[in-house]
Parts: sequence; C-alpha cells; structure tokens
Amino acid sequence: MSAELAEAREELRAVARALLAKSGPQPDWQLLAGSGWPGLEVAPGLGGGGATLAEVAVIAEELGRALAVSPFLGTAVLGVGTLAALRPTAGRDELLSDVAAGRRRVSVAMATGDDAVTGDAAPFRVEHAGGRLVLHGQAEFVPDAVGADRILVMAREPSGVPVVVVLESARLRIEPQPVLDSTRHLAVITADRIEADEAALWQLAGDPGAAAEALADRASLAVACDSLGVSQAMLAATVSYVGQRYQFGRPIGSFQAVKHACADMLVQISVARELVHEAAAAVAEGTLGAAAAVSMAKSYACMAAVEVAGKAMQLHGGMGYTWESGIHASLKRAALNRSLFGSPVAHRQRLARRYG
Amino acid sequence: MADLDRFRAGVREWCAAHVPADWRQAQTGATQEEFVSFQKAWFQELRSEGYAVPHWPREWGGGLSSAEQVILYQELAAHDAPRLVLAFVAIHHAAATLLAAGTPDQRRRHLPAILDGEIWCQGFSEPEAGSDLASLRTTARRAGDRYVVNGQKLWSTWALSADWCLLLARTDPEAPKRRGISYFLMDMRTPGIQLRPIRQATGEWHFCEMFLDDVEIPATQLVGAENAGWQVAQATLSTERGMTMLELAERLGHAGLSRLLDTCRRASPDGTPLAADRLMADRLAVFETEVSGLRALCRRVVERHELGQAGPADASIVKLYYSELLQRMTDFGTQTAGLQAHTELEKPASGSYESGAWALDFIGSWEWTIPGGTSEIQRTIIGERGLGLPREPAVNS
Repeated sequence: MSAELAEAREELRAVARALLAKSGPQPDWQLLAGSGWPGLEVAPGLGGGGATLAEVAVIAEELGRALAVSPFLGTAVLGVGTLAALRPTAGRDELLSDVAAGRRRVSVAMATGDDAVTGDAAPFRVEHAGGRLVLHGQAEFVPDAVGADRILVMAREPSGVPVVVVLESARLRIEPQPVLDSTRHLAVITADRIEADEAALWQLAGDPGAAAEALADRASLAVACDSLGVSQAMLAATVSYVGQRYQFGRPIGSFQAVKHACADMLVQISVARELVHEAAAAVAEGTLGAAAAVSMAKSYACMAAVEVAGKAMQLHGGMGYTWESGIHASLKRAALNRSLFGSPVAHRQRLARRYG
Repeated sequence: MADLDRFRAGVREWCAAHVPADWRQAQTGATQEEFVSFQKAWFQELRSEGYAVPHWPREWGGGLSSAEQVILYQELAAHDAPRLVLAFVAIHHAAATLLAAGTPDQRRRHLPAILDGEIWCQGFSEPEAGSDLASLRTTARRAGDRYVVNGQKLWSTWALSADWCLLLARTDPEAPKRRGISYFLMDMRTPGIQLRPIRQATGEWHFCEMFLDDVEIPATQLVGAENAGWQVAQATLSTERGMTMLELAERLGHAGLSRLLDTCRRASPDGTPLAADRLMADRLAVFETEVSGLRALCRRVVERHELGQAGPADASIVKLYYSELLQRMTDFGTQTAGLQAHTELEKPASGSYESGAWALDFIGSWEWTIPGGTSEIQRTIIGERGLGLPREPAVNS
C-alpha cells in the first residue's frame, strides 16, 4: 500500500470517527449519505465516491467501534456490492445512483448463516412459467430489510445458476426478527410463490457462481471489520476503567492479573487487525487466495471480539454486568457477529478443504 | 516493484543452488565441532552473496533495503535454509551495539571481524538477575587504564564457541540500580573466565554459566559512557526484533505449517487421513490463521519501524504471540504424531524451532517463552508501555 493511500484511509477513519462521535450511536441515514458513505464504492459517474472495498472496510470498522445502529451493512456493503456485481443496465445504474445519493435503500435477501460460507446455498429459487417468473423461498436474519425500498433477492435458476431478483419490498413478506443484539435490525424475508415480470430478473456478470461467493465474502469481511471495531472500543473502555478504579489502595490496572489480561486483548486485536486488513486488501484487489484471507479474518476477528468483550465485562467487575454499563450490548453484538455469515468453524472448514 | 520482483527471483535462484538439500539429516546428532564448522561455512556462503548481514549499513557490508530483507527472509524460509544461530548475537546485538554506541576504533576492530566469522555471546543475566536484570551484581572496578571484573553470568548462549562477549557489569554500587551499570566488550581469551555448559530440557547444550574472577578489561573496551550501560543495552537489545521475528514467523509459516500438515495427513487407525477429521481440520485451520496473522503482524512491525512509527510494545507483542503460538503448534504436533514423536531423540542443529521432531520441538518451545524476557514480563511491558496502564508500586528501586 502506498503511503498516500494509507494516509487517505487514516483520514477517512478520523472523519468517520468524528462524525459518529457527534451523531451518537444512531446516525441519520441522510447525514451519512451526505458524507458519501452509501456510495463510497459507486462509480463517480453515478454520483459515488469511486473508492474500494478497503475504504468501505474502514467505515464498517468505525461503525462497530461506535456500536452504531445503521443500515450501512445491508445497503452500502451488500446492496451496492450486489448491484456492482450485476451486468450493467440502465435500471441497475439508476438504482446504484439512487442508493449513493441516499434516495433509496436496498437490502439483500441471501444466506446469512453457515450456508453463506460457500455461496452455493441459495435460499430462493426461480421458475419460469408463461412468460412470468415465480419466486419461492425464505431467508432469515437479513440485515436492514425493514425500511428498504427494494430487496435484491439472491436466487437460483432451475439450472443452479445464481441470479438476482429485484423487487419492491412491498412485494415480499418482511418480518422483523428480534435478536438479543438490539443494535442490529434483522428480518425474515419470505417469497411464497410470488409471480413477477421477467424484467425483475437481473444477471450476475462474469461467472455467476464466483460472484455469489464473492458477495458472501464481502458480507463476512464487513462483519469481521465490525467485530474488530467492537474489540478496539472494548479494550479502550477497559484500559480507561482499570486505570481509574481503585481497590486495595491502587488502580486495579496495576495488578498483573488485570494488566496481563489487557495485554492479551491488545495482542489478539493486533493479530485480528492485520488479518482483517490483509483480507480487505485481497478482496479489493481480487487477489488469488482472497477467499481464504476472508475466512481467516472472519473466524479470528469474530472469535477475538467475543473474548475481548467478555474480558471487558469481567474486568469492569460488578459494574460491567449491569445493563447501564452497556458492555452487554458489545458482547451481544460480538456474539451475533460471530455467527452471522458463517461461524468460525464453518469458515475454518472452508480453509481446511484446501489441505487435501 | 519490478526491482523487488527481480530481487526475489535472484534470491530464489541462489537458494535453489546453495541451500544444502540434506542439511537437516547431516545436522541431526552433529557434534559441537560439526555444528560450528557448518554454521561458519553457511555464514560465508551467505556472505559471499551479500545475504549474511543484509541489515548492516552498506559501508560495513550490508545495505539491503527493508523490503529486500523481508523478501530474503521469506525466501530463505520457503527454501527451508539453515538458520544463522551461532552468529546471531554477533550480527544482531553486537553489531547494533557497536553501530549505536561503539567508538570508530571498536567498529573497525569488530565489524569486519564478525564478517570473517568472529562469534559473540552475551553476558547479561545472572543467577540473581533474571527478569529483574537491572539488579545484576557482577562488578567492574576501575584500576588505572583497565577494569577488573568479578561475578557470575548465566544463560550465555554458545559461550563455549564465542570469541567475544557483550558484558554488563556494575561500576557504581552506590548508584540507583539502572544508573550504575556499564557495558563492555570482553575478549573471551582473557584469563579468569571459566565456562560451565548447562544442559537444557531438550538435552542440548546451548547455554553456559560464566564465572569471572579478576578478569581484566582495557578501558578502551567500554561501550558508551561509564554507568550508562543500561541505556546502551535498552537501546540495542530489541532493535532487530522486528526483522528477526519476521524470519522466525516465515519459518513457522513454511516449514512449521507444512510439517504439521504432513503429520496430519498420516493415516488414522481406520485408514483415513487424520486431516479429514473435522476436529483435526478445524485445529489446522486455526493454526494456519494464527500463523498468517503473525506473519502479517511482523511485516507491519518492520514497516512501522522503517517509517519511524514503531509502537512502544511492538517487539513485545510479536515475541509473545510468536512464542506462545510456537508452543501451541508444537504441542498439537506432538499430540498428533503420537507415540512416534517420542522416538525422535535428537533434532537437527542449525534449524529453528519446527524441525518436525515434535516432542523435542514442544519441549524446546520454552526456549522462547522464557528467555529474552518471559511471557509474563512481555505482558507487563505491553500493559505498561503499549496501553499506558499504571505500573506496579515499586518495592525497591
């Protein structure tokens, strides 16, 4: 990475952090759109920022650090990623530019559990009958579907080829799916043999199977970034707390048991950060081995975040266990992230398939 | 970038032609003499290509850029080349000390000699000064144009083969403990030095006890100012850690991981490869992930060091993570290889810590979690210097 590029990313990070500090944990989407976040990766000709996934990763990390409630994952990471993977059409470009400007929000109905890791399980099927298409299936734990204007449904043709069906969200059954982590908005999306115009079916560019897998990798990477952000916030909060909390006449951070636990958190975060940044660069540059890099980053960073947040709760003592302290919210988000878009075990299984 | 690609191709070609294919076999069960002569010969091979001291300034025989050094160590690891273990203190600690604090005469005397094969050891630790190194008791008393040294040193690696020693001794017993230490270059042929090898847990003899009885050191062999030895040692001890850890991380990523995979491809009692088992595959993937993280972290540390942005705990973070990962990996290798691992009674000298003789590698991994600052000391450094946590209340100073 060139020094200028690194510097630009650090500047983006500083701006994002300042914006989120000012806006609070529920930033207005129009405010983020005004800062160009939804369209970071969209081409400048369509009103976007022309940046790469590596810049999107910076924002995802900062949203995790701020424990922000935002449809960035569903719309900017997955929605824009899906649209960019489609064969260019006027309709697609219009939607991309609407998303970049914050005029429309989208959400992607795709596999979100362990079945997301390979990209070959599609929760929806399309059939063709009498010049119309029929969509059938269900996806659970879909991020940011409630409030989206359009749903991009990842489906499979009878031949098995992945395609995307783009529908007004009112056409689908979208039911909020409450989870312990109140900072994420997830939903079950159901299509019960919906008929639609064939024009709703959009083709993935290039090798559709590879495109679908790349989309799942994007999702995994964004969640890994989020977990990295959560970990860093938890370590910072813990270091600050154990430096101020006195017991036995000294700050508890001066006790080795506490200090060494913090040191382990920093080591884990240092390793997670490198794995996440390597994966982001690999995916952004389309490097061979990007998929493996993503699985390493996802499994390690998401495990680390749960351990770090759990240790943060422990080191905050009784206060850490209270609702008021808010540490539970980070622990819940970290634990949800660990399962979202593939558990560590599922990602490691994908790695292990290369061992022969 | 094209230049670096060309450089990599050159290193690859050189490694293919020069790394002895059978060195592990030849170095298994090697005598001390065979080990020393092999190490010195390999050093000269590397030197003739400019690969022995790539991190030194060009005027002294080095001059590879940081990016080139990274490539060099990556390729040496990928080709499973022998490590320069005997010259380690000479080319890293001694050279860093001479370059940072040595006089022009001291540099001229020793840097070319190191290239010609001069071996160095370290006289830092003592029986009562381990983790608390600054409490060392060996004394150096000024007598005219020389110092007279008395005391005992411990854990001096390869001291039996060493020509010179980096010595810390107390020159002002009245001063606070960090302000009364001086740094010396000690000729190992000086009368009054007695060495006693210490056998380590693996059965090998890498370390010595060193007894110093009225050993005379000319005052010209003092490094830095009198009583400023602690500062000299602090400044030079970890200067090379980024790159030396990168080399070890690369070796763990190549030889270490591939040996672990080989061990796991062995058939289990039902005839299927162990690696096909989901639990085993999962553990392997954890190790691949952790080693990849370590390698990336080492590259980052080197990069930051190069930009003058090194973090105050960088060296401790990589040392701690490497040593504990090495221990976990060799433990897993030992379990997986089963009883067979216990029949390998010797491992090759001149290697690093992943020889594939898993049980010995596992026992040997404590050579990383204890020396050079134990894992506990590293965690304290990371907590205090890396995170700014409050220090332990001092009991004495």
